[in-house]
Amino acid sequence: MKLKLLQSPVSGKAFFSLFVFLCLAGAVFAQADFTLNGKITDGENALSDVSVIVRETQQGTTTNANGEFTLRVSRGQTLVVSHTGFETQTIKVGNRNEITIALTAAAGNVLSDVVVVGYGTQKKTSLTAAVSTMKGKEIASVPVANLSNGLGGRVSGVIVKQGSGEPGYDGSNIYIRGLSSTGSNQPLLIVDGIPRSFQHLDPNAIETFTVLKDAAAVAPYGVAGANGVILVTTKKGKSGAPSLTYNGYAGFQNPVVLPDFVNSYEYATLRNAAAVNEGLPEPYTAEELQKFQDGSDPDAYPTFKDIWGTITNKNSLITQHNIEVSGGAERIKYYAALGYMQQEGMWQATNTRRFNVTLNVDAQVTSTTSVSFNLNGRNQNSKFPAVSTGRIFELIGYLHPLYGPLRFSNGMPGTFLTGSLFNSGYEKYGINSLFSQLSVEQKIPFVKGLKLRGTIAYDPTYTMHKLWTLPVHKASLDRSQTPYVINDGIWGQTKPSLRQDIDFATQLTYQAGFNYDNSFGDHNIAVLGLFEAKANDLTSIMATRRNFNLTVDEINLGSSSAADMSTGGASSAARQAGLVYRVAYNYSQKYLVEASGRYDGSYYFSPDKRWGFFPAFSVGWRLSEENFLKNKISWLSNLKLRASYGEVGALAGSAFQYMSTYNVLGTNYVLGGNAVQGISERSEPNPNITWERAKKTDIGLEASLWKGLLNFEVDYFYEKRSNMLMSPDVIIPAEYGVGLSQVNAGIMSNQGFDFTIRSAYDFSQDLQVSLSANMTYAKNKLLQVFEGATTYNNPNRRITGRPLGTQFGFHALGYFQAEDFESDGSLKSGIPTQPWGAVQPGDIRYEDMNKDGQINNDDLTVIGNPTAVPGIIYGFAPSVRYKGFGLELLFQGAAKVDWYYHGSAIMPFWETMLPYKQNFDYWTPQNTDARFPRLTSSPTVNNSQTSSFWMGDADYLRLKSATLSYTIPASVMNRIGLQSIRVYLSGQNIITWTRLINYDPEIGPNNSWIPNGSWGYPNQKALSVGLNITF
Amino acid sequence: MKKQLFKISLNTIIILSVSFSFTSCKKFLEVVPTNQVSDLTLWATQDNADLFLNNIYASVPTLETGDPWENFSDNSLNGQAGRVSTNVYGPGIYTPANTPNKWGQYTNIRKCNLFIERVTASSLPEDWKKVRLAEARFLRAYFYSILWTYHGGVPLITDVLNINEQGDAVFRARNTSEETASFIIFECGAIEADLPVTAQSGRVTKGAALTLKGYAELFNASPLKNPSNDLARWEQAATTYKKVIDLNKYSLFPDYTTLFYEESNNNVEVIFSRQHLGGTSLANYIGQIGPRFVNGSLTGWGHVDPTQDLVDEYAMANGLPITDPGSGYNPQKPYVNREKRFYESIIYDESIWLGATMIMKQGVGSLNATDLNNSSISTRTGYYVIKGVNPKYAGAQDNGNSANWIIFRYAEVLLSYAEARNEATGPDQSVYDAVNEVRNRSDLPDLPAGLNQADMRKAIARERRVELAFEEKRLPDLLRLKLAETKLNGTVHAIKIDIVGGNTVYTVVPAGGGAKVFDPAKNYVLPIPQSAIDKNPNLEQNPNYQ
Repeated sequence: MKLKLLQSPVSGKAFFSLFVFLCLAGAVFAQADFTLNGKITDGENALSDVSVIVRETQQGTTTNANGEFTLRVSRGQTLVVSHTGFETQTIKVGNRNEITIALTAAAGNVLSDVVVVGYGTQKKTSLTAAVSTMKGKEIASVPVANLSNGLGGRVSGVIVKQGSGEPGYDGSNIYIRGLSSTGSNQPLLIVDGIPRSFQHLDPNAIETFTVLKDAAAVAPYGVAGANGVILVTTKKGKSGAPSLTYNGYAGFQNPVVLPDFVNSYEYATLRNAAAVNEGLPEPYTAEELQKFQDGSDPDAYPTFKDIWGTITNKNSLITQHNIEVSGGAERIKYYAALGYMQQEGMWQATNTRRFNVTLNVDAQVTSTTSVSFNLNGRNQNSKFPAVSTGRIFELIGYLHPLYGPLRFSNGMPGTFLTGSLFNSGYEKYGINSLFSQLSVEQKIPFVKGLKLRGTIAYDPTYTMHKLWTLPVHKASLDRSQTPYVINDGIWGQTKPSLRQDIDFATQLTYQAGFNYDNSFGDHNIAVLGLFEAKANDLTSIMATRRNFNLTVDEINLGSSSAADMSTGGASSAARQAGLVYRVAYNYSQKYLVEASGRYDGSYYFSPDKRWGFFPAFSVGWRLSEENFLKNKISWLSNLKLRASYGEVGALAGSAFQYMSTYNVLGTNYVLGGNAVQGISERSEPNPNITWERAKKTDIGLEASLWKGLLNFEVDYFYEKRSNMLMSPDVIIPAEYGVGLSQVNAGIMSNQGFDFTIRSAYDFSQDLQVSLSANMTYAKNKLLQVFEGATTYNNPNRRITGRPLGTQFGFHALGYFQAEDFESDGSLKSGIPTQPWGAVQPGDIRYEDMNKDGQINNDDLTVIGNPTAVPGIIYGFAPSVRYKGFGLELLFQGAAKVDWYYHGSAIMPFWETMLPYKQNFDYWTPQNTDARFPRLTSSPTVNNSQTSSFWMGDADYLRLKSATLSYTIPASVMNRIGLQSIRVYLSGQNIITWTRLINYDPEIGPNNSWIPNGSWGYPNQKALSVGLNITF
Repeated sequence: MKKQLFKISLNTIIILSVSFSFTSCKKFLEVVPTNQVSDLTLWATQDNADLFLNNIYASVPTLETGDPWENFSDNSLNGQAGRVSTNVYGPGIYTPANTPNKWGQYTNIRKCNLFIERVTASSLPEDWKKVRLAEARFLRAYFYSILWTYHGGVPLITDVLNINEQGDAVFRARNTSEETASFIIFECGAIEADLPVTAQSGRVTKGAALTLKGYAELFNASPLKNPSNDLARWEQAATTYKKVIDLNKYSLFPDYTTLFYEESNNNVEVIFSRQHLGGTSLANYIGQIGPRFVNGSLTGWGHVDPTQDLVDEYAMANGLPITDPGSGYNPQKPYVNREKRFYESIIYDESIWLGATMIMKQGVGSLNATDLNNSSISTRTGYYVIKGVNPKYAGAQDNGNSANWIIFRYAEVLLSYAEARNEATGPDQSVYDAVNEVRNRSDLPDLPAGLNQADMRKAIARERRVELAFEEKRLPDLLRLKLAETKLNGTVHAIKIDIVGGNTVYTVVPAGGGAKVFDPAKNYVLPIPQSAIDKNPNLEQNPNYQ
């Protein structure tokens, strides 16, 4: 009946009556005091000591032990309800004498949190697993396009590394508790209970992130859980009147750092200096140097004084807009959101636009049946130049003054870069994806606490790829004529070409199971049983045409010659199925025991190796509930010890390595003048191949002191990954001629700790401060890997026993100096010889580790920490609120990580590429402790050996994000008739402190001269202005 | 209540149906990869098995345009900095750890062994088997010839290694150089009768097998492998090459320029070539080695810059070498009246390429000015190569070129025959005929009559260096003839061209980055790569490499 009443349209007459009544009431009762009786809960239990203040009078009270309070108020006044660990609420008194207010836990409060875990939820207090959480709200205002970039530094145990700032490709690599395998270390990503990527969801639509770290938490994911799991839940509707919220920001981005190349004058100066060093004639005359310096002859002597300024956009746009509607009646709740994100790139051809729609409906269909329906759609379009980003960065390295200016005086492109960057056509990706799912939950009326549930999720993804390549023009200068003649030219293909791909991927997931929750006195029991099956299918098709006569990017308008067209396509499938269980028992919320696991199967392996069992056990002890502590130590709100142990799996390698198979190759050879197919042996099969096994141990301590003023959680973890898939190639002879399939042979350990500490203190109603910090330390060790005798028997070179990715090379001792040589230029006796040509003063000298008088591979040793994942990662986030103002900062740092500077990343004239400003600090007899060795026209073999000389310490600390906000006071809002308005300034990657020169420490100088993507598109520093309105 | 019951039953149906699917889970996880075929399918039909052989053909090395092996000889230098030929091999600073090497041929050898083993065991038709097995054995012998040329004796593996079945027996020791040579020679001799004289283009023929046999015999007769100069070895090579000539299948293609272009693929002169197809992943990128700047625009990469030393080997149009007092050669007009092949192979100062005049002079702002300071931006020597570079596909990026990479052609057979016959029995008429046939194609007169064996040897060597320039034949010749210790020691040369008082002045100078060191005590063979030694304790390193 009630429902019907709410839905009945309000007639004009009734509305008018109501209006008149309210006006009258307002006039009559405006100043009249009355007594308000209230109760405050956390949604379930009463909360004591909650502060309730009447904003207009600043008078107030606190709740008693039953959560009740009494206040004299007048209509139109506003209550401010605040309590440590909960979100502060403001509520209009209205026309009521009784009120019940449910506070929601603030981010950081542990006591009343309900935590999302694998295939269900649990109260934080009764958790026995290592789980960390974060609210989606924390990153909704931060200007990042890809959600994964918002996680860094916020959650303990999570290591995030953003390897590129390029729109559309800027997702971070996420590692949970470091590296545990030589194979894949990617965690499993789950959205609303189904395996999916969260990276491109609308940030505003996210309720929580949950990170599952230990065996007890990940065991329900069986063969897919060993690298940890990140669960994301999207927002659900809340009962009550509809609320409409707008949240949006617009900002601009600039690269965090760009390599500082020399200009033309500096280039020519260095070239001359190198030639002089080598006794060769100088390539540039003083007159030419002058022209490079003053720019008097820009066609023949371009200055290149601001390389980056002329090719990159400054302040490229990033903007995001979101509208959410949420509400519900007693039996139906809904949440709907529409999001838009646009991100422009460093150069004009690059951008990404994304629409997200979210619709979550929960309906209580009968008193025992509830249904949820979730839809999450995405349309994303990304555009790039047709020439790959890696190639563009490579071409920037060839902005030699000799080749021509960016543009000649008549506007024609003068470098290979110009056309490639600005007019090479385009590459587009259009992604349309949908996450859709329907869940039904049925209570069984005659068995208390028993629910059955079933879910079907269907996720289709269409990806359209289009690559339209135009001829790249590069004009050239004929200097033999006066005035100069500028000739147009084309580099590479002379006519346009087009490639189009369509991929259609689907994922179909079924889940069916039951939950049983019941209490028998002090005995509480919860049981979960569930079956899950997942099927992925992918089909793709490709077509190309070359030699377009018309410049129209339609596949059918290309050349109609058969030689100018080609087609391709592929399909693949993946299957996984498993039975999940979890049994949790606790006695009086004090002693907690849990067993969980999964019987799981994967299509990866041969039929008799497909199925495995992955169990985990955990226990918890809430000391704070013991009589000897409870109510005796008043400042101790919660103290829990927990431990877990279990085994999970990882699909680290690739599928089908058990089969003896051959690859079919499309166009492989030419017979009789025609292309023919070929077949090659893939690798020798391994019929016994199976998953990796991770045995995980975790011991954790959680405490909450002074009613949540200080919360901390610390975990020690130890993981032993065995059955690790490794290629045995290093122990078979090079003459074997084919790779072997991986075998389950490696063993690796990974241990460390992670902790979170959170503190919040309200000095007054107006001034609140909080600080949270987290840190993760992880150190892995290869216990058993395939290793050849040469390195194994040399303690300096042994890989076994060291962390994965340890960097080896020669240990550089500095430079050879003049006093190391005899007068005839030969090395003095006793100095170990180096085999890469005759050395001179100013060349790098390496340490003879084995003291045999010569430098060779036996002298290699450890020169650096692994690059992939820092050993230590930490974050700390102070925040202050004063009245309507709020300032939230997030500092994030990493330590125990080194990057190696490859050739062109640091050495002058590597592959004739541009040097850097820092290369001026080279060795000369007067500058014997220079940063760089003696200058040569190309790096010498001796000086470009892999050595500690070129290792870069990539520890860093950065102000990862900051938000300064102002919330307009409620009194003002009342007059406007809106619920709230918040304006904010926000930023990402704002300041970085690092020793790494020219490169972002997250991306590093991974750019050896090898083209095609190995150069990194720098991460972006973004600053934005945002607005948040709730209507 | 009725409604509720209905709901329950709906749920039950969903749950039951899903659970039911679990009973068929075994089937559910059965996924067959779509891009692979099984052992059973592959060897069941000729057509399928042929696809495997196609892939072996595709494994035959083509020109590695980034740093062709010609640059390891004294014929050319890589114009690009930092390449192995100039940085590591040239200065002789290669060690087992960083040596250029051919060890990757074992991948191809395995393919051959696998094909031979499976096809032999199959019940496919015998006449098909006979030809295909001969093809695979030829290819295996060819891959071994590459290993043997550069590394000496290597492990002769003729079975499919299988560590599960063979255990430590997969760690094979090296065979001697003599054994390796004998294997190649034996294999070619054993299969030549099974191969057709004429086959589908791209496939191996009888002529190819004989030519490879001749190559191995010639190499094995040369001073490096035949220090006692056993004349029977030369005789053996001459006999084999004569068999190729007597097939009467091959003749010289009339035009030396277009001989290497796509329109002449598989012409009458070609005995064995690696096939290419433009517009596909099988395109030939030879344009990359050609002239760097044409009309100021980057065209090729200049990866092969001919040395002055090679240029000096080209005869005058009258057939006389430039060192002959009567040749009419003028060092200040070095490009006048040279033989045809010079103009067909090399770009020099003021020559025309793609309609543009190429300027190698200093001080006139030319991007192609001879690079005297090792900046690796233009030619290192004052020359570029155009032999084989089709003007149609001169751009480094052009993937349209279908020209095959010729491995053996008839001119080499003639010159090798002449050399072997001259060494075995002296310069008889057949020697003259063979050399003159090559010379006449390029409008050079016959060699003067009455040359003694030594003079003929010199004449053949010069002819060979010029005729086969840039075809990666020079380094094997320097090695087998033990010339490397002189030719690959010291420096190779470039031309510096200045305008002095209005006159063009040519000066021969050492080429930047062209300093070479060759230690005869070890460098006649490359070391076995350290990575291979590390994995196989039975491999013995070549002498004097640590």
